Amino acid sequence: MNPLSELQLDALTEIFNIGAGRAASSLSEIVGDEVKLSVPCVQLYQSTEINADILSLNSSRLGAVKQSFNGPFHADAMLLFTEDRALEIVHDIMNSQVGVEDVAEFEQEAMCELGNIILNACLSSMADMLDVTLNSSLPVYSVGTAEVVLRQIVSESPSLMLVLHIDLNIEKRHLQGYLVFLLSSSSLQKLLAHIDRFIAGI
Amino acid sequence: MNSITAKNGFIPERIADRIWDSIKSGLILVDGEGKIMLWNDWIAQHSGIPAEFALNHFLGSLFPEGLTASFKVALKNVLQYKLPIVLSNALHRSPLPLYPLPVTQHMQERLQQSIVITPIVTGEEKHLCLIQITDATLSINRERVLKSHSERLSQEAITDALTGAYNRRFFGERFTAEFGRAQRQNIPLSLIMLDVDYFKYYNDSYGHPAGDKVLISVARALKSQLNRPTDVVVRYGGEEFAVILPDSGSEGSQIVAERLRAAVSNLNIPHRESKIADRVTASVGIATCQPDTDCNMACFLETADTALYSAKHGGRNCVRHLLTSDCGRPCPPGTP
Amino acid sequence: MPHRNSIKTLLIVDDSRVSRMMIRTFVLAKHPHWILIEAASGDEALEIVDRDTPNYCTMDINMPGIIGTEAAAQILAKYPGISVAIFSSNIQQSHQTRAAALGAKFVAKPVTEKSVAQALDFFECKT
Repeated sequence: MNPLSELQLDALTEIFNIGAGRAASSLSEIVGDEVKLSVPCVQLYQSTEINADILSLNSSRLGAVKQSFNGPFHADAMLLFTEDRALEIVHDIMNSQVGVEDVAEFEQEAMCELGNIILNACLSSMADMLDVTLNSSLPVYSVGTAEVVLRQIVSESPSLMLVLHIDLNIEKRHLQGYLVFLLSSSSLQKLLAHIDRFIAGI
Repeated sequence: MNSITAKNGFIPERIADRIWDSIKSGLILVDGEGKIMLWNDWIAQHSGIPAEFALNHFLGSLFPEGLTASFKVALKNVLQYKLPIVLSNALHRSPLPLYPLPVTQHMQERLQQSIVITPIVTGEEKHLCLIQITDATLSINRERVLKSHSERLSQEAITDALTGAYNRRFFGERFTAEFGRAQRQNIPLSLIMLDVDYFKYYNDSYGHPAGDKVLISVARALKSQLNRPTDVVVRYGGEEFAVILPDSGSEGSQIVAERLRAAVSNLNIPHRESKIADRVTASVGIATCQPDTDCNMACFLETADTALYSAKHGGRNCVRHLLTSDCGRPCPPGTP
Repeated sequence: MPHRNSIKTLLIVDDSRVSRMMIRTFVLAKHPHWILIEAASGDEALEIVDRDTPNYCTMDINMPGIIGTEAAAQILAKYPGISVAIFSSNIQQSHQTRAAALGAKFVAKPVTEKSVAQALDFFECKT
């Protein structure tokens, strides 16, 4: 399903590309190296359509960083990625710092921070471009099998999902993930109304 | 009026202050310009800066060393975008000059910190910003305890509870690994099988608790004769022990085996039901797999068993050695 | 200043139609008589440059096909007289350095009146 016009999709993609640019810049400051982050395309799904195959996340365990935000529209913004690859990146960053202990609790917090950087960058880009104010909860990290994590997402009231494929390259490591915005159809309509207003304003 | 109860749903300010000061983590509230509006006790103690000095000052000016770049950027972003930010301990360590208690004037290592910065919406144009700091040292310590706990558990999973030697499960893993290594690196590998002589009679005569003590003593005696960390003693089952000797050929393994046999005998544990001696003894069989010989693990184990059988039938309390090429029947190639 | 009023040709290269629209709007607001040409990829831009030889060019980096910095390098090698402003959401130093090495101006996205003004200032200084 794709009730979004080409121009609406184009505008959303551009918003997220700018968000990705901001996130990459913040991440590169932490890592001290170039970070590549791209968001090639935006797709819209019914939440019931989502499964591990569609997302081609075949790893056994997924990590998810979630922030709920509200403003003119409400959504749960989520970053989904394969846990083992994300852990490799966190370990790389931690190892590049002196005297960091290999502590699982810290890994989770670090994952939260990485997700927080990417989600905030996208939200702030959205707020800037659409000229709206968005409030957000703190990030929550959860991890589990792909099936369990996706089921949790889908079990929340039937809704729509904006799904963005994310490609992240940090310190020679490559991580693929998804940025998912879970929102009700009324929130989607409000989001699209803001996008239309933005396009009309050009 | 009762000062404890909330008035119109609001907690009186002096009660609120006591609440902030009772909280066991740091709370700093700054306004849109970065001026400090709240500085709780925890922060005062860990920074060494009392609230009277901190309030109405800018955060950056309070700390002579200045704030880290990442902290400043985070604060700016929260005020600009009004989105909450996490500064994890793993990636930032100790952004603020806060120290473990008691804070001294000397060079002290900074406190490990986990920081969360959240915007506080006031309804006015300018937002406030709440900085919460928790002491991550607690998490580090908790994690250490859990880790050592899980290490102990995993140690338990591969150890024989009675004798403290490795268990059969560990043997399977280690023997497979060493066999593979010997094949790859083309080095010899020897396996010793050792069985306590007439142990069933010992148990029947002295009782099982005494029998258990013998096994414990034997395991300890065997371990005491091995010098290399790669040589491991395994309780193979009942009164049977196995010793894996990586990179040991016929000659070396026979010397070790003889030492092991003597060590058991030298324990001098009386055994009135033994038919060959007045004390506890052991029969020892060795199998050695030489480099460049065609061998597989099943055949290797069988050869060691055959050697032990041969020691039992050769009068017990003795050592018998076989090469894997002495295997009774040809080993089917490719069998695991 | 006569060059201010003269008609210039600007090539806008961006795979996002919305970005091209925004750049177009902000440029036309200042220079209503300029001729604006759009390209949605680096390859398309190279063709257009050979055909129309614009005075100026704005170039996105992340695009399908050849990336913007590469397209800009090829354009500048062939037509050193064209002023190129590289627009990118990727604001890391490495990209800015690459742009500078090419002799192009780096402008951080999003496309706003301010960022377009930076590009225009660069074009007019060089003229």
